[in-house]
Amino acid sequence: MPALYILIPVAIALVGFAIWLFFWAVDSGQYDDLDGPAHSILFDDEDPMHKAGVSQAQKPDEPTDDEAPPRA
Amino acid sequence: MLAISGACRRIASKLAPTYPVKHPATKCPTQVCAPMASPTPCYHCGLPVPAGSRFHAQVLGETRAMCCPGCQAVAEAIVAGGLEHYYKHRSESAANPQSLPQALPDELALYDRADVQQPFVEQHGELSETCLLIEGISCAACGWLIEKHLRDVPGIAEAHLNLSNHRLQVRWADSQLPLSQLLKELRKIGYAAHPWQADAAAEQLQRENRRAMRELGVAGMLWMQVMMATMATWPEFNIDLSPELDRILRWVSLFLTTPIVFYCCGQFFRGALRDLRTRHLTMDVSVSLAIGGAYVAGIWSTISGQGELYFDAVGMFALFLLTGRYLERRARERTAAATAQLVQLLPASCLRLDGDGHSQRILLSELRAGEHVLVPPGALLPADGRILSGQSSVDESLLTGEYLPQPRGVGDSVTAGTLNVEGPLTVEVQALGDATRLSAIVRLLERAQSEKPRLAEIADQVAQWFLLIVLVVAAVVGLAWLQIDSSRAFWIVLALLVATCPCALALATPTALTAATGSLHKLGLLLTRGHVLEGLNQIDTVIFDKTGTLTEGRLTLSAIHPLGELDSDACLALAAALENRSEHPIARAFGRAAQAAEQVDSIPGLGLQGLVEGRQLRIGQPAFVSQLSGQAAPAIPGAQGQWLLLGDSRGPLAWFVLDDRLRDDAPTLLAACRARGWQVLLLSGDNSPMVGEVARQLGIEDARGGMTPDAKLAELHKLHAQGRRVLMLGDGVNDVPVLAGADISVAMGSATDLAKTSADAVLLSNRLSSLVQAFSLARRTRRIIIENLVWASLYNGLVLPFAAIGWITPIWAALGMSLSSLLVVLNALRLTRSPNP
Repeated sequence: MPALYILIPVAIALVGFAIWLFFWAVDSGQYDDLDGPAHSILFDDEDPMHKAGVSQAQKPDEPTDDEAPPRA
Repeated sequence: MLAISGACRRIASKLAPTYPVKHPATKCPTQVCAPMASPTPCYHCGLPVPAGSRFHAQVLGETRAMCCPGCQAVAEAIVAGGLEHYYKHRSESAANPQSLPQALPDELALYDRADVQQPFVEQHGELSETCLLIEGISCAACGWLIEKHLRDVPGIAEAHLNLSNHRLQVRWADSQLPLSQLLKELRKIGYAAHPWQADAAAEQLQRENRRAMRELGVAGMLWMQVMMATMATWPEFNIDLSPELDRILRWVSLFLTTPIVFYCCGQFFRGALRDLRTRHLTMDVSVSLAIGGAYVAGIWSTISGQGELYFDAVGMFALFLLTGRYLERRARERTAAATAQLVQLLPASCLRLDGDGHSQRILLSELRAGEHVLVPPGALLPADGRILSGQSSVDESLLTGEYLPQPRGVGDSVTAGTLNVEGPLTVEVQALGDATRLSAIVRLLERAQSEKPRLAEIADQVAQWFLLIVLVVAAVVGLAWLQIDSSRAFWIVLALLVATCPCALALATPTALTAATGSLHKLGLLLTRGHVLEGLNQIDTVIFDKTGTLTEGRLTLSAIHPLGELDSDACLALAAALENRSEHPIARAFGRAAQAAEQVDSIPGLGLQGLVEGRQLRIGQPAFVSQLSGQAAPAIPGAQGQWLLLGDSRGPLAWFVLDDRLRDDAPTLLAACRARGWQVLLLSGDNSPMVGEVARQLGIEDARGGMTPDAKLAELHKLHAQGRRVLMLGDGVNDVPVLAGADISVAMGSATDLAKTSADAVLLSNRLSSLVQAFSLARRTRRIIIENLVWASLYNGLVLPFAAIGWITPIWAALGMSLSSLLVVLNALRLTRSPNP
């Protein structure tokens, strides 16, 4: 199993990198709010840009005037 | 510093809309009227809509009823901004705009002054950046609404709301949009915002949170690597491992486990050290022994190249325990964030009078003793002082528990933090800041807090016995094996220590408490300190406050006695028409009127006069009302409550009795307390016969009125000296020292901020019946904790003999540990199911 001689250092290096990345994420405040982002995804459906994009994808040929954002 | 006072909010909630008494009549003279059939809830805030309300708004294609102009304005602003989807996605009703602290336009303008902004606003070139604490957030949709609304406001570059701690980070161009305008934008959609500065405590909390998150992540990531390396050395998985690779894998495991032990588990070792110094055997000691033992043995085994490796057990143990603690911390903090507001009992600004009688709005910190301030009706007194001119009544209920505003005139002294109700007052400032009566109460609070007794936790008691038993057994087994086969003795003792390591035992309590905290949150009871649930089972005495706790804490109409030919409904309609034009708190008790009165004049201290349907009417003091008809004033027929006379030019029409009303669910709570055999006390600062009346209605034998904060605290000390465990339920500033000193304290949701922050739990819903449910949930939690502890000890007891005869290998230790932990967690999750089994 000579492959292990390479794989083990690689695994250690990877976990080291992962921990560094994780520390960076925590320190930049990405884990400070664990409730908000879980909900914010639900509201993306209401985004006028998103709605316009969806209707464009469904009927690519029609103009999207009526689905355009009411007040953008 | 610059915060609208918390006391404002409580007063605002006192002014929350009340509803016209449908069947006032003479059936319930000076007694509590039966609650009315529930009216439609307001579409915006969920409070009942009074009958005949004129307030509506078009939301999501339908006309929705609103309870007040505030809700209507907010709903219309939301719809106009194209944000009505908020209503589709919200999971909770919004806060009533009237329940938010009022902000005066000229007070907001103070925020635009550069010297005021300097401490909390940072400048980045064109843009300013600040952090605001938002009040009124009820669910996730609020976050979306706020961010979305602000991003559409010209001049705002970025707005990000943190839902966990209700802080809004905002960047804006100050030249285009002054800060006061930004605060007004938030108010338009129904939220109050205060500039927020991180104090030392908040910064420390953030550091601790991030550290806990890092420890958890490191333990998780390294454990997976350690598991792979360690398991590779087990003969069960790997039969053809070369001795060379075995050696390498052992060193790799040791290398990866070291950060877990020293970085992630530091808190267990520190805790253990602290407890050993105070000669206590706690869970931390037990946990540290297991982790330390397995780690030290692992080093020995790595160096010598023989024996079992338990590094994966160390990692798993660390990860499970850290997860349990992290979840518990989060559950506690989320609830704390919902209540964490600024502890400010005084107004942020006040009106100073200069020599020529001109008033100028200044910050409270700029006020000096000896200066004169003008306190308009509806404003809080900024300092202790003496009245120079003016006649008014002052609401001191927060400080003294007196539920009726007290009349005050020239020469009388007034106290900082109380509310001026009727007329404008000019006050000479005598004491400020630390010298005020209010500060004296706060100091009393600090003393009480330091004397607070600590309730014993079941888990630590069990851990103590567990640890003793395991150590004794390990010593006996070790000695026995030394006689039988000395080469195996060390490894068998080690296997025994690891196999019996109290993973499930240590998880038993935090998981149950986390689950129960979540359930209680849904009931509207927020736990801000960890010991409440366990402690509720040890309570044997309850102290209640009266005003605002057992009673509603605001004046409501309790009876109408017609004197002339008009019946009570007609009299109420006339009185309501008059009172609707007044700002006095009494006016709210009359509900909303169908008719409108004209030419209404308010005469401070006497009453109101005006025209309704061309009829000249007066309401208020009997002498003032009788003047209109020229007749002699009738004598007030009762003693209790506030009696108002309504009359026209021909004579008196009716008496209105206003009184503080008992909460509807107070009897249920009292019955629940008595059913548990608890001794019940009523300690009130109120001096009036109302105390005796409430006690009589609720059947409380030991009721005392006119208690000062010191007297209440002394009573608590007396109870503690008798060895009693005390639960305190209160709301006012005068209850704060007792709340801080009681074994367990619960503050009402409508309480002052100071009361909320010094209590262990906050009854957000203000429903006393939630407390009854909390009592039973506390019992269930205790049962689950005991079940968990029994199971965990049983498991450990079961493996003990197998470990003693040397049958346990690392694989069995790992398997048993995860299964028992899983069982404990699943058992705890039962608490999240409906609180009413």
